[in-house]
Amino acid sequence: MTNIENKIFSSYNRDSDLYDEIFDKKGKIKKVYQKLFNLYGEHSIEDYVKLNSKAKSSFFNQGITFQVYGDKVTKEKIFPFDLFPRIIDSIEWEIIEKGSLQRSKALNLFLWDIYHDKKIIKDGIIPMDLISSSENYLHQMIGIDPPGGIYNHISGIDVIKHKDGKYYVLEDNIRCPSGVSYVICNRTALKRALFGVFNHYQTYSVTNYAENLLDLLETVKPHGVDIPTTVVLTPGMYNSAFYEHSYLAKTMGVELVEGRDLFVENDFVYMKTIKGPEKVDIIYRRIDDQFLDPLEFKPDSSIGLPGLFAAYKKGNVTLANAPGTGVADDKAVYTYMPEIIRYYLKEEPILNNVHTYHCSRPEELAYVLAHIHELVIKPVDEAGGYGISIGNCLNDKEIEAVKKQILVNPRKYVAQPIMSLSVHPTYIDDTEEFEQRHVDLRTFSILGVDKEFVLKGGLTRVALKKGNLIVNSSQGGGSKDTWVLKND
Amino acid sequence: MLARVANNLFWMGRYIERSEHIARYLNVNYFSSLDAPNQLSQSRQFVLKSMLYMVGDPQEDDAILLEEEVLFKIALDQNTHFSIINNVKVARENANSARDLISTELYEAINKFYHFILNYDSEKFVKSGLHDFTVHVTEMTDILRGKIRGTLLHDSVYAIIMLGINVERATQIIRIINTKYNDALKSQGSYGDKSSKSFEWTTLLKCAESYDMMRRYYKKAPSSFSTLEFLILNPNCPRSIMNCLNQIYVNIKVLDTTTNYNKNSAAFLVGKVRAEFEYKNIEEIEGDIQLFIEKILDSLLQISLKMEKEFFNY
Repeated sequence: MTNIENKIFSSYNRDSDLYDEIFDKKGKIKKVYQKLFNLYGEHSIEDYVKLNSKAKSSFFNQGITFQVYGDKVTKEKIFPFDLFPRIIDSIEWEIIEKGSLQRSKALNLFLWDIYHDKKIIKDGIIPMDLISSSENYLHQMIGIDPPGGIYNHISGIDVIKHKDGKYYVLEDNIRCPSGVSYVICNRTALKRALFGVFNHYQTYSVTNYAENLLDLLETVKPHGVDIPTTVVLTPGMYNSAFYEHSYLAKTMGVELVEGRDLFVENDFVYMKTIKGPEKVDIIYRRIDDQFLDPLEFKPDSSIGLPGLFAAYKKGNVTLANAPGTGVADDKAVYTYMPEIIRYYLKEEPILNNVHTYHCSRPEELAYVLAHIHELVIKPVDEAGGYGISIGNCLNDKEIEAVKKQILVNPRKYVAQPIMSLSVHPTYIDDTEEFEQRHVDLRTFSILGVDKEFVLKGGLTRVALKKGNLIVNSSQGGGSKDTWVLKND
Repeated sequence: MLARVANNLFWMGRYIERSEHIARYLNVNYFSSLDAPNQLSQSRQFVLKSMLYMVGDPQEDDAILLEEEVLFKIALDQNTHFSIINNVKVARENANSARDLISTELYEAINKFYHFILNYDSEKFVKSGLHDFTVHVTEMTDILRGKIRGTLLHDSVYAIIMLGINVERATQIIRIINTKYNDALKSQGSYGDKSSKSFEWTTLLKCAESYDMMRRYYKKAPSSFSTLEFLILNPNCPRSIMNCLNQIYVNIKVLDTTTNYNKNSAAFLVGKVRAEFEYKNIEEIEGDIQLFIEKILDSLLQISLKMEKEFFNY
């Protein structure tokens, strides 16, 4: 434990077992953070408390909130935001950016393959079982060519830095990855509170996401459409990510629609406007596959659009992301990512994969059952951090319960060694001090026809509970503004 | 613009406007009654009944009301559909559903407004906060109208909100005239002097925030004749029915740009009602004010229904 001399960091406790993003092993401030450290040091903790509460009320007044699904009541909450930014220098960023893009592209080729010739299975790289046993493999998508050959237009790749200082991918999210609006809000809030600090760093802007998204979505317009009409499809204003849906529609300048605003006629999609029906060509949908079309998927879906899939099949409308992408961000497929990248791109993976044990394989299942206390157990098909058990946080009774769960359905679970996510100084309300908290980074990349885009920045998520490794907002996580520095 | 969202924006405008009129009605009636010139107008029971009548919850003449209960019910009770808090809550939900279309500034102002009311201490309100609360509400609605005018593109989104505001304003002004007309009839004869009548007309004008304008225009104490003429027919009074109809006409033409009107269209009906008013004189109206009130309320309802069918059909 070392104390650092700086007003605002005077009580910062550094655990040298953890990888600290701003201090090196000896407790010396890293070069890239030096200026920031000095600038923040000019403030007293009282100043900081004031700025912090100002930033919070700014979020609250703007209505930038999300809902948490509790036992009984659903609460409107501010997404906790930390005023101390995370900096990523241009050399590290290059690795992250190239690595994220590499994964998105490989996943896209993988999806095309498993919905067409299944070469990767025939070549024995991955087992058939992996696909056929997945709930997210949609037989309806077999043989369908999505416009431009793009499945995962938008990918959110979750990256962490392990204590070895290397970047690892924890998860690929290629269904409806969310969080990009918070990247922009965080930047706005930090600018409002501490604009002075930006004078000292050459940071990439993050506000160009929406324009790039629209631009790239328009490259996958249906055949024969000249100027496409794009919409964002939301489940409605009570959805936890509604703010983001409205933000994206607003910044792209397109309509935000619900299923009930649309109808299908002769396999074309229209929206009901004040001037009558208007044809829709591209739908950035933020509802899950199962709810898209009650005629094709879940028949009791009231948020979807009857006939949408038929229109999609005919190529009259583009869906982003394409239905059926969920099969590839499955945590079991994740374990094959290095092989998938090599197979399709003939490249070595740029970002590391965390070693994964498949409970579906008897010998690995035996290992998992014997080593639960040093592993993270994850259900393969749950999003949002639900259902994860971290071995070293469990007591004997809980370990037994987890074992039982796994044995009921081994295919449903994978296990990984407990990764030590890097930590970042984070202001903690309760103690009014900066403390080490684990962080990850969600990057956002977009694929279009012959064009691609990675947002230079990303969502640094912080696990606000001490020692906690789960950073999802639904599990009490917060976030930080993330600066990607320009080269010079 | 989506028909569903247009409908929500229309109602957002209506609910914002409605909350303002209720707040001002509470304020003006309560405080002017404190030193009213006759006993009846001074009576707290009379004032409370007038307030409930205005929000559409009329009481029996001999009912005994508790001041704190009535004030709470009209302003902060989430269980009464007409309360100010519910109006603002629904306005915010409507704004929320159209968040991609309205400006950040406007949304932020509505959100602040909602949280101000949500966090208002109801204990304090019923005991000593009536003035503070209602003044805040009317000021915040002024801010909202400022944001609507100043931060939105003046296109169909703006036109629809303005339609909502003006349809609601006309409706509320009529309701207020109706209520105060009732009050004036009742308070008549308790002293029988002229000032008692002019007192109710002054209150009416203040409820419509038109007292100062009216004084400047007529330069004498209000009578039933001049008050009704001013509030109904004067096109330069921003709160008059005539002005609302003019605004509705201007804004509906943004939505319906055809010049040869279909006789069944909303724009045609608005034009017709507006033309009727333009050539009306106050003598005709004063002759049978009750009939007039029923007629204009019905016209406004018909306009709303036609708009719903034409633009908000989803």
